[in-house]
Amino acid sequence: MTQPASSAQPQASPDAGRPLLEIEHLKTYYPIRAGIVRRTVGHVKAVDDVSFQIRKGEVFGLVGESGCGKTTLGRTLLRLEKPTGGEVKMDGRNILAFKGNDLKALRRRIQVIFQDPVGSLNPRMPVSDIIGEGLMAQATPENGWSERKTRDRRTGDFLEVVGLRRDYARRYPHEFSGGQRQRIGIARALALDPEFVFADEPVSALDVSIQSQILNLMSDLREQFNLTYLFVAHNLSVVQYISDRVGVMYLGKLVEVADVADLYAHPRHPYTVALLSAVPDPDPRVRKKRLVLHGDVPSPAKPPTGCRFHTRCWLREQLGNPERCSTEDPAARDMGGGHQVACHFAEQVSRSVAAETIQGVIAPRAQEPNPVVAEA
Amino acid sequence: MGEQNGAPAASAAGESGEDAYIRAEVEELEASPDYDVALESLGQWELAWRRFRKHRMAIVGSALFLTMVIAGVVGPFIMPFDLYKIPYPDIIDSFGRGPMLTHPFGETARLQWDVLMLVVNGTRLSLLIGVLASLIATIIGTIVGGISGYFGGWLDTILMRIVDSLLTLPLLFIVLVFTKFLGSGNWLSVTIIFGLFGWLGIARLVRAVLLSLREEDYVDAARAAGVGNLRIIFRHLMPNALSPIIVATTLSVAGVIIGEAFVSFLGFGVGPETPTLGNILSGSQDTIINGNWWWAFFPGAAIVVIVLGINFMGDGLRDALDPRAKI
Repeated sequence: MTQPASSAQPQASPDAGRPLLEIEHLKTYYPIRAGIVRRTVGHVKAVDDVSFQIRKGEVFGLVGESGCGKTTLGRTLLRLEKPTGGEVKMDGRNILAFKGNDLKALRRRIQVIFQDPVGSLNPRMPVSDIIGEGLMAQATPENGWSERKTRDRRTGDFLEVVGLRRDYARRYPHEFSGGQRQRIGIARALALDPEFVFADEPVSALDVSIQSQILNLMSDLREQFNLTYLFVAHNLSVVQYISDRVGVMYLGKLVEVADVADLYAHPRHPYTVALLSAVPDPDPRVRKKRLVLHGDVPSPAKPPTGCRFHTRCWLREQLGNPERCSTEDPAARDMGGGHQVACHFAEQVSRSVAAETIQGVIAPRAQEPNPVVAEA
Repeated sequence: MGEQNGAPAASAAGESGEDAYIRAEVEELEASPDYDVALESLGQWELAWRRFRKHRMAIVGSALFLTMVIAGVVGPFIMPFDLYKIPYPDIIDSFGRGPMLTHPFGETARLQWDVLMLVVNGTRLSLLIGVLASLIATIIGTIVGGISGYFGGWLDTILMRIVDSLLTLPLLFIVLVFTKFLGSGNWLSVTIIFGLFGWLGIARLVRAVLLSLREEDYVDAARAAGVGNLRIIFRHLMPNALSPIIVATTLSVAGVIIGEAFVSFLGFGVGPETPTLGNILSGSQDTIINGNWWWAFFPGAAIVVIVLGINFMGDGLRDALDPRAKI
């Protein structure tokens, strides 16, 4: 297989590199209700004004701490959560406004792989129904999926595609191991012939030895079926391994987007620097300085003013707490080569001592042929 | 693939290459632990039945319960005594007579009814009341709880506040009053009253189950594939909610039987012309002091056996219907 981490170049497909999804000012808020009449007293801003593009054929990795809105963002794209504002364009049309038949047709094009291999398969359905159900829902006269025979054949085909036996279709989920279940989940998504797959931490619930199998399978399938992934994880090594481009989220905001090699070698946002400093190094001789952030992530119901990261930012401290950080929300700026950063002082990051330490440790590993997949 | 099953091929010494290969292949297939399962994967009900069979208390409980059902259904027809004919005892004894060959459970005081005959008739009616009332309660509870749990929002709030306020009432006394003034001793009205007041627990249960099932990833996966609401309810939510509902219904049969016995014992429930286990007990209470223990003991024992049997069965069902449980 090819090395996805280094394949930032457009693929063979003619429209590779063109945006598949254009996410513009996407907002997903959850109301906080209180009192007897369930009055809305505030909002949890899970995703707050996020804009980026996912290019056709790429793996877009999304990282960030728990609760920063990665999953909500993906679920909003899937139309499982109600967006509060913004647009998501696919082929020039805003998919957030789709209804009825448009929405149903969209669902075939956008599929999902879940984190939990146990909860994502209905324990009372055999695998044939688990995979076949989506086919039945998406049946058209052209694909003939309304016929049980066609569905069963396709189910068997896709079980083989993900490395399982055809006759596993008759079994129930509890008869499988975690890795096998995750393969079934992948088969369910791919059987619908999607273009875009949202992978919501697809390997974090798996045994470390199985993680690499599933990652490699997903990479192979991407080439075989011309897929585009939005890959959410909080394991930075996994994201580095599989992604072409990476976005870093903090408290509902996208703070940095860049090509994977660029991001891991030259992080421009202070939060990214701190995140990368937490990646454990398998070499025990390497002594590196860890940037430990102080305090907890602020509540997304009451995000800090200005830059959301300013309450925990080490760079702000070093710069003598400039007022701008707490008053002005930094807009995303292009630092060249599509490297976007939302920080007023991004230029200072590369000059800081902390960043140099990170670059010294992280940068060489980006070129290694087989980075070790380990729990962060 | 490290995670796939398969025993290592057995070495076949002394055979030519191709034969040995084929033999090893066949042996590997047959030795693999899922060879049979792969050929006929068991349905979920079959698996549940297997687990149930292994559950000793459940089998004992079902045997007890079944015995009582058979006694209640068949008993009244094969008894040589008729409920609707006043007995002509060979020896008049107003305290009744203890167990003997012709009356194994003894005779009641005063009219000297055969107690065994009363018990089988009472068992029949008590079971009928228990099952019917529980079915009514389950249907109402599932509908109310289902609406509440699936749709949520203000509908859920209103329905659950109604349930909450009904639960604060001392239910048994309400049932007493209702059975006294509306039941008028008729067993069917008593059944309906128990059904109409017994759904609260089941509604809460179904709501809670649906609330958690609604959030399951497989429901999201179905939605993300464009599967419709109705199919999600009937193929994903209901089958997974079914086992707690079955268990609750089973256990509620025992509850209704006890409740009815209690109400009838106090003289508020089913009238004495149609014996239930409770009103047989009710008749016996003033002659126990005279040493006529069998009139109270046998119907009381019947209640204990039925309720124990149902509870054991319910526990067994609970374990058997959990698809995650090991066989």
